[in-house]
Amino acid sequence: MIAGGSRAADGRRPWTFYLLGTLFAAYLLFLYGPMLVIYVLSFQGENGGVTFPMVGTSLTWFAQIFEPGQMANIPVAFGRSIALASVVSLLTVLFAVAAGLGFRRRFPGSGVVFYLAVASLVMPSLLVGFGIGLGFRFLGWDASLFTSALGAQLTWTLPFGLFAMFAVVNRFNRAWEEAATDLGASSWQRLRYVTLPILLPGIIGVAMGAFTLSYDEYARTTLTIGPLNTLPLEIYALISSATSPTLFAIGTLTTVGSFLIIGITLLWVMRLQRRRGTAVPHEG
Amino acid sequence: MNVRQLVSPWSAGAGAAMPIERRRALPKLPNWAVSWLQVGPLAAILLVLFVLPTVLFLVVSFFDYDRVGIYPAFLLDNYAELLTTPATLRVYVSSLKFAAIVWALTLVIGFSVAHFLVFHVRSPILRTIFFLLCAIPFWTSGIIRTIAWIPFLGRNGAFNQILMATGITDRPLEFLLFSDFAVIVTYVHLFTLLMIGPIANSLAKIDPALIEAARDAGASRWQTLVGVIIPLSKTGIALGSILVFTQVMGDYFVVKTMSGGQSASIVSMLSTEIQAMQYPPAAANAMVLVVFVAVMVGFMMRVVDVRKELVK
Amino acid sequence: MDHRYDVELVKVTKRYGTTVAVDAISLRIPPSTYCCLLGPSGCGKTSTLRMIAGHETISEGDVLIRDVNVTDLPPARRGTAMMFQSYALFPHLTCLDNVAFSLKMRGVAKAERHAKAREYLSLVHMADFAARLPAQLSGGQQQRVALARALITRPRVLLLDEPLSALDPFLRVKMREELKRLQRELGISFIHVTHGQEEAMALADLMVVMEAGHIRQAGAPREVFETPASAFIARFIGGHNVLPGQSGMIAVRADRCRLGPPGDGPRVTGRVAAVEYQGPVVRVALTTEDGLEAAALLPDHDFDRAPVGPGDVATLSWPEGAAHQLAG
Repeated sequence: MIAGGSRAADGRRPWTFYLLGTLFAAYLLFLYGPMLVIYVLSFQGENGGVTFPMVGTSLTWFAQIFEPGQMANIPVAFGRSIALASVVSLLTVLFAVAAGLGFRRRFPGSGVVFYLAVASLVMPSLLVGFGIGLGFRFLGWDASLFTSALGAQLTWTLPFGLFAMFAVVNRFNRAWEEAATDLGASSWQRLRYVTLPILLPGIIGVAMGAFTLSYDEYARTTLTIGPLNTLPLEIYALISSATSPTLFAIGTLTTVGSFLIIGITLLWVMRLQRRRGTAVPHEG
Repeated sequence: MNVRQLVSPWSAGAGAAMPIERRRALPKLPNWAVSWLQVGPLAAILLVLFVLPTVLFLVVSFFDYDRVGIYPAFLLDNYAELLTTPATLRVYVSSLKFAAIVWALTLVIGFSVAHFLVFHVRSPILRTIFFLLCAIPFWTSGIIRTIAWIPFLGRNGAFNQILMATGITDRPLEFLLFSDFAVIVTYVHLFTLLMIGPIANSLAKIDPALIEAARDAGASRWQTLVGVIIPLSKTGIALGSILVFTQVMGDYFVVKTMSGGQSASIVSMLSTEIQAMQYPPAAANAMVLVVFVAVMVGFMMRVVDVRKELVK
Repeated sequence: MDHRYDVELVKVTKRYGTTVAVDAISLRIPPSTYCCLLGPSGCGKTSTLRMIAGHETISEGDVLIRDVNVTDLPPARRGTAMMFQSYALFPHLTCLDNVAFSLKMRGVAKAERHAKAREYLSLVHMADFAARLPAQLSGGQQQRVALARALITRPRVLLLDEPLSALDPFLRVKMREELKRLQRELGISFIHVTHGQEEAMALADLMVVMEAGHIRQAGAPREVFETPASAFIARFIGGHNVLPGQSGMIAVRADRCRLGPPGDGPRVTGRVAAVEYQGPVVRVALTTEDGLEAAALLPDHDFDRAPVGPGDVATLSWPEGAAHQLAG
């Protein structure tokens, strides 16, 4: 993973270690403190409110998410988010991996594409959605999940995927491909049996990243989604209308959901990594 | 075993009939064409979904409008109005102030955390776990992470209760929630990882021998940091800065939610106009913001050649 | 023999933009030859090897393998196999699958290709490691697997790009012997790129010294060592003093030089710059008043009879016939 390490011969830690260590601990507390508060508050008793103190504990607020009525949109929106994120993730892998491979050599126009990706990544998100929404309006098309919203999210996940692929292909040794050619592989065989399998852990990383980026996205999606909301937009709408711990319950649930997805993927990648050993290839 | 059986000499095989004069007859795509085939789809998508819409709102920013609709025209009124309203300047100053403070805080925290993880944590497993600890909250929706601060910072919130329980104050602090303070805290919470990641990546590439050499040459910890480590991690610092800066400039949700309506951001102003269907002024506003962000990012990328670092 | 040469280069040139990396070199490698391409870094030896392999396009000229022009053929159809400097073993495949890779590409059934791969693994004494991944092997073991993977294609010529450079000195000598044994037993030609003259001398039947994109000398190692063609070669292969003679430069082997009172024969006088104890011999380096450098390799007992130290004035002489006249 990451190399380095301070190597004091006598094993004693410098004072900076304690300073930075304390700072790191404080940072973690800062990072997790508020989140823990909402996890706890999501188990608020039936008569409790959105702040402490806890008035007993209950699962009322979780149950409310699934009850027909005001909150019934949450499970449906969740389904939409998962569907959109899956498609976004698939397309991102497809195009970003191909582009990452293409960028391994300089070609005329590579600079333009690079800066196009940078621009797309740093563009204020809402403006991207605004532009696409405006375009759809001019063309007389209706904005919807798998047209405008999908497109708006790709302007965010594709550059991310491309930059992630740069890191992945930088570790790729060109000699592997030459060896494959030398041993009689056609270009397709080379891609299928050498390039893609070696890049696989990185590609899974890109897929996972694109999935979470899409799953949590609201700023690009809000003006391109049309009438049917994704989960983040549904939550966004709830913030102004509802002030009950249900919001926190949704937060707890989506966090658990994210953890499950990421945990499973990480385990898979780690198994892949273990299967092929840990050492990095020797560079000559 | 007789080795010769394994490698029986080839009889003059596949190429035997080739005349010597035959030169480079194989039709093969030139390298640049292969690259374009691979990069093309991505470039095309960005062109259609990013460049075209941007051009579109550039065009619309010159349009005329009224309560009913928008009309093609070439007016500079939208820009004139935007640039002469004092509110515009106020919002830009306020957004820049947030961006500057958040940038400084995330840089200091992000660099310190990255430095600790890369240079001070010796066990690779522990380091991986620590990195994961930093990254895990990032996988929770930004909206949830933002509103998580509300019960924490509120008048009866966890933070005030801790302060009172420990006797640091006897009355709840009022400025914690729905204030610039709350906005900055939330930004730092949301965006510090964007600094940690690129900086840790740069730091990890530094050969530890360089640091030892600096120490051997008599450099103090501080001199080593300023003279060796920071210059060698400037790509990560630049990348992280660009990410944090653009995220803050592009935000409308945090400002709206956490300032309690006391502050506005450029994009929240813009989103109000969009909701009121005032597209041409919104587009003009958007163009000004795009140019502003582009100039700032362009400046940061001039300081560090990010491309050279990323694409080998 | 059914062919005259295993490899023949005809005015092969490699240009990168305007720089010429390899300048119209011609070379003939007779059947079953261990050929070493030797030269300082940047001399074009690796480009030459990669052009023979087909991993680099040839700007001008022709490459013939067993009298067949392969200039435009893809790597796999040239009858060459390459062993890469970093071995380039596929990190996601076991040793067995690495070795069986080329058979898999040709569509050979699994059982058959694995059986074949096992044969080749035992050829390089790696049969016990068949199930291991490359990352779990030492450098020397990786190299053996890479060798098996190259040989299973039954190449007419094996190309080796600095194959020993990543190994420690002890292993290097051992692998050197093994490479030579394999070449002899397989009866094919090996072309081995190296920048170490000791390695080249130990291995080569044909030693090709390159500099600045040209072949400066090609011949048996002994011939090159005893009659270096130029001052560059004499200096590069080492063990020689390059000194001005009556008509141009001469090369004198350092081990033929002696220290002692000036006699009638050829000699140079200077101050001792360094004395190095090298085990069987002692190396005494002199610097003359005109700034020439010369060295003598003296058997230790000769040195002990009249020891000198840095700063002493000493005369270095050699027998009349030991000087070799250099061209140019």
